[in-house]
Amino acid sequence: MSAVFSIALEHLWLSVAGVFLACVIGVPMGIVILKIRVLAGPVMGVIDILQTIPSLAMLALVMFFFGLGNMSLITALFIYALLPVVRNTFIGLTGVKSELLEAGKGMGMTGWQLLWQVQLPIALPVILAGFRVAVVTSIGIATIGTLIGAGGLGEPIWRGIQLVNTPMILSGAVPAALLAIIADYSLGLLEKSVVSRGLQVKNTN
Amino acid sequence: MIRFEGVLKAYGSLEVVKKLDLHVLEGEFLVLIGPSGCGKTTTLKMINRLIEPTSGKILVNGQNIMEMNPVTLRRKIGYVIQQIGLFPNMTIMDNVDLVPRLLGWDREKRINRVYELLELVGMDPEVYANRYPNELSGGQQQRIGVLRALAAGPSIILMDEPFGALDPITRENLQDELKNLQSKLNKTIVFVTHDMDEAMKLADRIAIMKDGEIIQLGSPESILRNPSDDFVLEFIGKHRVNSCELEKVESIMKTNPVTTDPDRKGTEMLALMKRKGVNTVLVVKNDKQLIGVVTIEKLDNKQNLTYKAEYLADTGLPVITAGSPAREAFDLLVSQKLEYLPVVDQNRGLLGLVTRTSMVNALASVVWGEEELS
Ligand SMILES: Nc1ncnc2c1ncn2[C@@H]1O[C@H](COP(=O)(O)OP(=O)(O)O)[C@@H](O)[C@H]1O
Ligand SMILES: [Mg+2]
Repeated sequence: MSAVFSIALEHLWLSVAGVFLACVIGVPMGIVILKIRVLAGPVMGVIDILQTIPSLAMLALVMFFFGLGNMSLITALFIYALLPVVRNTFIGLTGVKSELLEAGKGMGMTGWQLLWQVQLPIALPVILAGFRVAVVTSIGIATIGTLIGAGGLGEPIWRGIQLVNTPMILSGAVPAALLAIIADYSLGLLEKSVVSRGLQVKNTN
Repeated sequence: MIRFEGVLKAYGSLEVVKKLDLHVLEGEFLVLIGPSGCGKTTTLKMINRLIEPTSGKILVNGQNIMEMNPVTLRRKIGYVIQQIGLFPNMTIMDNVDLVPRLLGWDREKRINRVYELLELVGMDPEVYANRYPNELSGGQQQRIGVLRALAAGPSIILMDEPFGALDPITRENLQDELKNLQSKLNKTIVFVTHDMDEAMKLADRIAIMKDGEIIQLGSPESILRNPSDDFVLEFIGKHRVNSCELEKVESIMKTNPVTTDPDRKGTEMLALMKRKGVNTVLVVKNDKQLIGVVTIEKLDNKQNLTYKAEYLADTGLPVITAGSPAREAFDLLVSQKLEYLPVVDQNRGLLGLVTRTSMVNALASVVWGEEELS
């Protein structure tokens, strides 16, 4: 049991690492294409294409550069997570009503002040939704990481399949499913606690 | 305070503001009015450099704004827009003290300021400071929008159709409040609207714009009296018919009210009232100066009948000074539920009396025309 637990933790760690990298790079990327709007089309286009690569093919391609092991898996997850993170950041930021930007600018806020105090806080729920999708997707994709020698819950699943050993399959599949559900739920809670109450409460009038 | 010198704004070959010269005086409430697309917003936004003129100069306090840092300039000028634009992620407190925060005021000073402002518009700070914009009604939100513009104490406020999206009753309330605020704070306000009622109510001066030009500039009264051309005439249309607003109170008063000198006894006054068929007499000194009024109720008392008018007179009655608009007399009669209102000159010399009847006659002449007034 404790073995399963530590494998599940490793699985979670691998998935989150990829998404975390995607956030570190993807959120600033979303901001850059907001500010330099001509880049938005090309950048989103490239990310979209990357997203359409089947996961097995992606792993194989990545392995070509990084070899067998966790590094390749994390890189693949990073590439997949980039789309929801960049797209949601961009959509969240462009969704801020223009009158808010005008009011802020008209009162003497600088571009950065507007970004930090108005645009990002208002876009936060959308950005977090992207993050949530990315985490849940990554937990799923990470199960095939074992094919390129990465750790995680993929290993018992694939070995179980080869040995036609149902309990072994379940010992990987059930924790993976639970992990996805728990991650989704906790990220929902996180969203509630970090998003301004003013963006959550329904209009009471 | 704000001076436009030959300001022109063009998009390509389209000149949306044409060679504008305008001097907004200190402490003045200037309303820019005109049909949609005539360049009001463009004119307004050039003052805080949200839009930059193609040519010409704008001076604020004698300084050319193109030589100022736009961010510094904007923090010194309040700005209120039609869509309100409160930040939904911030509490009312954080919304109102935005500019003070940008200017680096210390926290205590900012809190005090927000509380003071909320109290100014009758919103309990304990209740509202920590609410979010979406927990407020539209009218309350725009009140906050106005407070936000006032927060750092700018001497200039720009308002672009601030009440345009509110329902008529809320709009009237906010107009009243704004007027009230202005009389206390004495800001220089440039206010854009396309609603002539609003302009009439708020403006010290109105600038009527058409196709990027100011075609008439003056006090509401002077524009109503002397519209410069047919366009203005049409624009102010219904206000001109409502000439009652222009009339002076003298034109609707009765000039021979029943008066008495201060020495007359109660009994004599009772007799006078019977003879003239009235239930009040005005007490005047030296044939002219108004002391007060004696009503018949006052004389329904044996003892009072032996007193002189001087002692019986109620001296606290409201009066109106000659030269005031008839409209003011009307408002007083209605709001204070008065039966009559003496009209006096600067030295409280009695000139006449506005009664409810004379008011109704004056209104009737407006509604049905002069000829039917006997
Ligand atoms: N960025 C722009 N490019 C081209 N034309 C514009 C632009 N902004 C405003 N205009 C035009 O300038 C004119 C004046 O606009 P505006 O000042 O907003 O009018 P108002 O506030 O009086 O309704 C309008 O005809 C509008 O279409
Ligand atoms: Mg406009």
